Amino acid sequence: MAEYQSFIGLEIHIQLLTATKVFCGCRNRFGDEPNTNVCPVCLGYPGVLPAVNEQALLFSYMVARALNCDLSKTAYFDRKNYFYPDMTKNYQISQFHSPIGRNGWIEYETGGELKKVRIHDVHLEEDAGKSIHRGTATLLDYNRAGTSLLEIVTEPDMETGEDAEAFIQNFRRLVRYLGVCDGNMEEGSLRCDGNISINLKGKGLGTKTEVKNVNSSRFLKLSMNHEIGRQKRALEKGERIVQETRLWNEAQSRTEPMRTKESAHDYRYFPEPDMPPFRPSPAFIADVDARLVELPVYRKRRYEAEYGISGDQVQFLTEEKPVADFFESTVTAGADPLQAAAWICTDIQKNLNKLQIGLEESSLTSLRLAALINLVKEGVINRKKAELTLSLMLEEDKDPDVIVREQGWEQISDSGAIEALVTEVLQANPKAVDQIRGGDMKPMGFLTGQVMKLSKGQADPKLVQAVISGKLGS
Amino acid sequence: MSVDPWKGILKDTQRHSAYLRYFEEWEARIGSFLEYRLSQDDPSDSGRLPLGGVPFGVKDNIAVEGYHCTCGSKILKDFTSPYSATAVNRLKAAGAVPVGKCNLDEFGMGSSTDNSALKKTHNPWDVSRVAGGSSGGSAAAVAAGLVPFALGSDTGGSVRQPAAFCGVYGLKPTYGAVSRYGLVAYASSLEVVGVLADTVDTARRVFDVIKGQDELDQSSALYPGLSRDRGGNPGAAPPAASTARIAVVEGLEGLSPEVEETYRSSIDFYKAAGCEIQPVSLPSLDYAVAAYYTIATAEASANLARYTGIRYGYRDTGAVTMEEMVRSSRTKGFGDEVKLRILLGTYVLRSGFQDQYYGRAQKIRTAIRNDFDRVFAAADLLLMPVFPVQAFPHGDTSLDQFQQKLADKFTVAANLAGIPALSFPTAPRNGLPVGMQLLGPVFSEQRLFAAAEIHEKSLGGIPRPHGFRSV
Amino acid sequence: MDIHELRITAELAMLDLDEREMKVFEAEVSKTLEYFAQMNAVDVDGLEPTTHVLMEENRAREDRTRDENLSDRLLEEAPERQGRHIVIPNVL
Ligand SMILES: [Mg+2]
Ligand SMILES: [Zn+2]
Repeated sequence: MAEYQSFIGLEIHIQLLTATKVFCGCRNRFGDEPNTNVCPVCLGYPGVLPAVNEQALLFSYMVARALNCDLSKTAYFDRKNYFYPDMTKNYQISQFHSPIGRNGWIEYETGGELKKVRIHDVHLEEDAGKSIHRGTATLLDYNRAGTSLLEIVTEPDMETGEDAEAFIQNFRRLVRYLGVCDGNMEEGSLRCDGNISINLKGKGLGTKTEVKNVNSSRFLKLSMNHEIGRQKRALEKGERIVQETRLWNEAQSRTEPMRTKESAHDYRYFPEPDMPPFRPSPAFIADVDARLVELPVYRKRRYEAEYGISGDQVQFLTEEKPVADFFESTVTAGADPLQAAAWICTDIQKNLNKLQIGLEESSLTSLRLAALINLVKEGVINRKKAELTLSLMLEEDKDPDVIVREQGWEQISDSGAIEALVTEVLQANPKAVDQIRGGDMKPMGFLTGQVMKLSKGQADPKLVQAVISGKLGS
Repeated sequence: MSVDPWKGILKDTQRHSAYLRYFEEWEARIGSFLEYRLSQDDPSDSGRLPLGGVPFGVKDNIAVEGYHCTCGSKILKDFTSPYSATAVNRLKAAGAVPVGKCNLDEFGMGSSTDNSALKKTHNPWDVSRVAGGSSGGSAAAVAAGLVPFALGSDTGGSVRQPAAFCGVYGLKPTYGAVSRYGLVAYASSLEVVGVLADTVDTARRVFDVIKGQDELDQSSALYPGLSRDRGGNPGAAPPAASTARIAVVEGLEGLSPEVEETYRSSIDFYKAAGCEIQPVSLPSLDYAVAAYYTIATAEASANLARYTGIRYGYRDTGAVTMEEMVRSSRTKGFGDEVKLRILLGTYVLRSGFQDQYYGRAQKIRTAIRNDFDRVFAAADLLLMPVFPVQAFPHGDTSLDQFQQKLADKFTVAANLAGIPALSFPTAPRNGLPVGMQLLGPVFSEQRLFAAAEIHEKSLGGIPRPHGFRSV
Repeated sequence: MDIHELRITAELAMLDLDEREMKVFEAEVSKTLEYFAQMNAVDVDGLEPTTHVLMEENRAREDRTRDENLSDRLLEEAPERQGRHIVIPNVL
């Protein structure tokens, strides 16, 4: 059987987290009553003009920079002409001739391996409204019309559905780290269309199809893999691939041709005369640079290499920037990185889940966590009491040493006191003592546990073990 | 003379009723307004404000809150604007009172105002003739003395040409000097809100109020405080009008005898006044009309795509699909000239044709700017006719729509280059006004006013049509 | 320009032209395009296109909401409504 190669490229649209729409002062919010966040500008009234939002430009340049693009020195807007009831002017203000970013690249990680995808361009445009089809009528809501949308077009550098899935997950993390988009695919704040073609190995790109309506990273994977299979079967039957737009049918797990009208599109792009080109000043670019962050993929790899954190833990730590930042400042505050990772991934998470709050909303600070970790390290409290301390820290908004003092939870590290406890336990358990003396070490744990219990959990378990061993001569 | 006699005319009961009578008599003959309200309701403090209580007209493609904004089109016949244009707001803040909306060629497309789908407007000098266009209603209203000034819009001569036809001043400001917010777009990169006025002083005072940057129009510019020097740099004092160096174009073809004679006598006038006359050639002028219409129609095809009957304006009911509804609303709502320009503009932007038409026109536009830069490197002003002929009769068969376009040769260049131009009236010939225009580098409006004012003085005030009475 | 090109153009412009109009516009559009073709005589080598005549400075708007809620007034202009929705015939 012939060997095929597949080529996947993505067109990603992200909704930018600006306060207002991209060309007017309407609130950027579309869950409200229909047609409330609208004004003459975004409804395309006669006589109005667009006025570009500075924050949208800043966010766009940040993304373009993070994707290693050549930044446009004069970014133009263009009009993209087509009739569509959701789009009030019947042209979309977009960018074509001189987009914000071009010729970029980005690395993403899949299966522990770094792969590179080239970025064709990054351009800023406006979103359309929404229509609801009700029988013989269509209802239009323009709350979303004119909100800022950033489009990122990749080169066809991915090969499999798994690649595409990993890429989009990496990308989602990236935009969330930058704080420019909430990355919610289900709600459409991150949308993704896949372009895919296959060809005999070494023959270059084939005829591509475009798959739309993919609203999760998993569906992206499934749809791309489905399309690879479908195209392969078609080619093997000697059929030709039709260049077309297909929709992902979630229920049937397959792609289907989209019903389209006959007439061909001709977008007739031309420069938007209503707004002068934007030429970023050195100060603007400096602001863009100052807002860039270490990208999640590199952060993850650094934690692995520097601290030896791996698996689910490193994944969890780097998934959200606030968590990763919290982790790092805990380490900076003097905590052992592995301990900090363990606390953040398990105990803290458990407590936050119970309280149903996020890390940022909680009273926990990295300084307090570092202090707690160090109380354990220095033997002031043991791990068990530390867990209880953490719960109280969250509930009562107090420093760990205050709680430990108030509760009298300081660990008993005084060997005299521990010796007394051990003696009491050994007397009460002659059988176990005999077993150990006879060389069977099994009851060791049991005896330690009894001493801990007797100390109300405050004895230093290591010291307890040492004293037992000493007394029994083992 | 200035706008001062007009102040408070609405408030004073006696003056108001005389004004109303005068207004309605004229209006019945010339049809310059599509809608007007001459109520005595004048909230301004006429004493304190620069234009307190002065009534003005507004071309009906400029938004005035609470008034219709029909653009002379069936597609917007019943549309009422929910907001006001920035220029209108600034005039209101200065005390002026908008009293009505003036007729125009549909969406500003035409040179006669006969392309209005809603009303016929006649020239106050001879009602069998057109008022010019597309700001014909504004020009006729000012010429007849119904208002001392009116706002118009100039995309390729639409303020200057009707001003010339009706014998009033017509200012096309520097592109970006006046906010376009509220001006219904026809060709965005070319058009500006302009002023039709009864005297130079009125034009100047109105311009002073409406000019300046607007946050709602990012193509509007900070107007420099001082006029610019010959190289367009700010800071230099303007040359004295009487010693200005004035460029004139040699070998202009196709002018009617009346216009040609007036051009000569205007040159002679400025020479006699002490100006240095410099003959120049403007080779790119020959291609200006083609470049202009290519760009204007291209932009129009996009600007007029919003009229679909979905959100506002005329909707053809009975269609069962969205597409059908949009098509038939547009087809029935737009007039033929508008459709023609939309088709042309759509075509010149199509892939495969765009480079040869639209792309080329944008480069010729650069050549025209270069030509003007060359002229204004050596001269302060440029004097040209406005239009090759005087006001023509309604339905003139010798000047069809196509030929009217070719006749825009002298006006479109200023729009392509973004420079200011002022059309001014001269002594009538054969009982009809003739207009000439002065052009200057960007932001040289004060220089244009000063030069036109010398001429105005020499006439002892501009000639008025029969039946004109000043307030 | 032939009828075929005119038809595509009208389609893109969302205009319905009947046979009579097709003929009229075909003649008019062709005449004008021929006139536009004069531009071919100009040597434009080395000339940058002018897309905006005034390009003195950057303009960008601060990301602040403008609270002049006109939405109710705007909806009044809609030819057909259902509650706060604007209604059009079904797209398909
Ligand atoms: Mg897009
Ligand atoms: Zn808005």
